[in-house]
Amino acid sequence: MVECLTGKKVLMKGNYAIANAAVIAGCDCYFGYPITPQSEIGEFMSGKMQELGRAYVSAESELAAINMCIGACSTGKKAMTSSSSCAISLMQEGLSYATSDELPIVLISVMRGGPGLGNIFPSQGDYNQATIGGGDGDYKLIVLSPSNVQEAIDLTYKTFYLAHKYRNPAMLLADGLLGQMMEPVEFGKYPYAEIDNSSWALSGAKGRNPRIIRSYSPTEGPQCEHIRHLFDKYKQLEENEVMYEELYTDDADLLVLSFGSLSRNVKAAIKQLRDQGMKIGFFRPITLFPFPNKRLNELSRKVKKFLTIEVNMGQMVRDVRLAVNGNVPVEFYGKPVGSWPSVEDLQTAIERAMI
Amino acid sequence: MEKNFVIAGFGGQGVLLAGEVLANAFMIDNKNVTWYPSYGAEMRGGTVNCEVVMSDDEVSSVNKRETDFIIVLNQASFDKFENKVKKGGYLIVNTSLAEKKQNRADIHYVFAPISEMAEKLGNVKMANMLALGLLLKASGLLSVDILEKALDMVLPPHRKNLLPLNKNAMEIGYKYDLFALNC
Repeated sequence: MVECLTGKKVLMKGNYAIANAAVIAGCDCYFGYPITPQSEIGEFMSGKMQELGRAYVSAESELAAINMCIGACSTGKKAMTSSSSCAISLMQEGLSYATSDELPIVLISVMRGGPGLGNIFPSQGDYNQATIGGGDGDYKLIVLSPSNVQEAIDLTYKTFYLAHKYRNPAMLLADGLLGQMMEPVEFGKYPYAEIDNSSWALSGAKGRNPRIIRSYSPTEGPQCEHIRHLFDKYKQLEENEVMYEELYTDDADLLVLSFGSLSRNVKAAIKQLRDQGMKIGFFRPITLFPFPNKRLNELSRKVKKFLTIEVNMGQMVRDVRLAVNGNVPVEFYGKPVGSWPSVEDLQTAIERAMI
Repeated sequence: MEKNFVIAGFGGQGVLLAGEVLANAFMIDNKNVTWYPSYGAEMRGGTVNCEVVMSDDEVSSVNKRETDFIIVLNQASFDKFENKVKKGGYLIVNTSLAEKKQNRADIHYVFAPISEMAEKLGNVKMANMLALGLLLKASGLLSVDILEKALDMVLPPHRKNLLPLNKNAMEIGYKYDLFALNC
């Protein structure tokens, strides 16, 4: 069993690292149902949470897990669940409810192959599931996408922070590759301030008026107002919380975009092509919602062409096209599922886009 | 500099553990490193492998098309990986369980009866650590000292008693005359 280490470098698997970071972030309750390739998260939590006197429930289904999160978050506790692709599908109703209820659920999604049961190989096929979602109504999840194990830890902390700061479910969108790989990491302390929830948590009504948390509003006016309130938060997120990584954009003719762990392969391909004198820039959105629309729009006025690379049939590319709003052509290169394209394959694809 | 390593064999030969020890050794040596297991519906007795990528810079990718150093502990792994060795790279072959054959002229072959050597030392299970010793010698990238420290980090407390014998296995691998049987 891995210990909660701070300030010491240790070689750790992505899934364990995320779980350990969640514990350090102060997660009070974990509810989950096993699925490859993220089962190590539940396995770690089953031991560690008990050891620390916190709550761990092996839920009877993913549906139950997400609804347990709703219950626990309502009381002001930090609750999380973790799952993958086809099982995240089962949580969509709960996420829509939690968004309307303004509950800071933390959800770890470790992508595998889809659609349907798919397979257990890595994939990026759940970009749409994460950023658009399958629940009803106008809602958004906060979505953060790490590219290596250290960043998976840092962004797990951030996922907890943003969920609580904005009272909105937040997702860490990792993939099977990241979940299964081991890399040297350091944890450090949870770097964010605790968010006061005393104004809304259902913490017992002794000595104060009772409160209610619900997503149901029988009249038109208050419901409109409620949704506008949610979208005010999304606007604030877009103004204040956008994160991205960019390289070589000063002189680039072609800007290549990619998210998650795949972006490392893409970056390596670009570095080699730049050594050959090709003017190629690199861009990686770290927050998938809020998406870096503003920065991409700026770049679309300097660069001649965009190329988006994903291990799916073209999902983030739609957001990129919306962001550049027709200023430049946006091409796509990808494959549906499985091992990431090699650096050599990516070089060929990028060179082709340069023509 | 970026170098990658594949260790392959039967499930149960300690292939993933050997990779973990190697990755820890690079971490101790202040390199960036990524360990990635073979992935799919695996079973005991089936083939298994893992890849370790070390880099002075950020590790760029796993599942690379070609590999600098490959250890194959059985015949199935030899058949699968001989063609994946990078030109000028090394294939370290456990001749106890794989044929001594050279189908390529553009790579270095290191043949050693790894399982038998480990058995002579007292336990065939140490074949993985012995193979790491061979790898270290072939690559010249790390000292045995660091490898031993890495093993110490990986072994859980109730297995620390195995440390001296396994260190011995690493050293015997490291001292092995790599190309003696090659000519």
